[in-house]
Amino acid sequence: MSDESKPLTELLAEQSIRLDATATDRDDAIRQAGQALLDAGAIDASYIDAMLERENSVSTFVGEGVAIPHGTLAGKEAVKDDALSVIRFPATVDWDGNEVSVAVGIAAKGNGHIALLSQLATILLDPEKAAALRGATTPETVYELLAATDEDE
Amino acid sequence: MPERTVTVASSVGLHARPASLFSQAAAKVGVPVTLTSAAGKSVNAASILGVLSLGIGSGEEVTLASDAEGSEGALDELVALLSRDLDKE
Repeated sequence: MSDESKPLTELLAEQSIRLDATATDRDDAIRQAGQALLDAGAIDASYIDAMLERENSVSTFVGEGVAIPHGTLAGKEAVKDDALSVIRFPATVDWDGNEVSVAVGIAAKGNGHIALLSQLATILLDPEKAAALRGATTPETVYELLAATDEDE
Repeated sequence: MPERTVTVASSVGLHARPASLFSQAAAKVGVPVTLTSAAGKSVNAASILGVLSLGIGSGEEVTLASDAEGSEGALDELVALLSRDLDKE
């Protein structure tokens, strides 16, 4: 792990957690994940286009009902601060044929994304934690789940 | 057990697009393949979450292994994939 890796919980503003969202389709869900990053002041609006572009190149669906939309390399210039957003869709969103309950939007400068994705993936590899994230109804639950790996680092 | 050690060529490391392409390819080779980081952590190479969890950066060495019969070809194929800059393709 690099020294620059911050705990996930510090990257997630409480206002960037939206647990009762609905989306008409995948792109709508990505825009919402991006909008939350924009509202937090972490990105310029152009990063949302970079997120949509990335998704059209390769799906960011990772299994366990979770997708991790993020921008292309070129979109990095639009990132002001490393940040996360967590958007939960209780009714699920069709994501290229997969059901997605949670979109975790990711904004990362430089190589920060590697450590960040590693921490996030480690949480989701635990089926119980992934299920808890899909069922989360309070920001506290989300923070508890994300904090779980911080101690392991 | 057949195994290969390879340096990850993708300039951004093994995440996002390269990780997706790699795990998809690992799922298609038809034999179970284990991916081990230089730090010694092993995951199922066909699991995108597993691959991402290793947090492998560009230029890091990883080891691919499989004890399935006829896995040599599969390992060669995956090594060839990791030897290319997948983010540029």
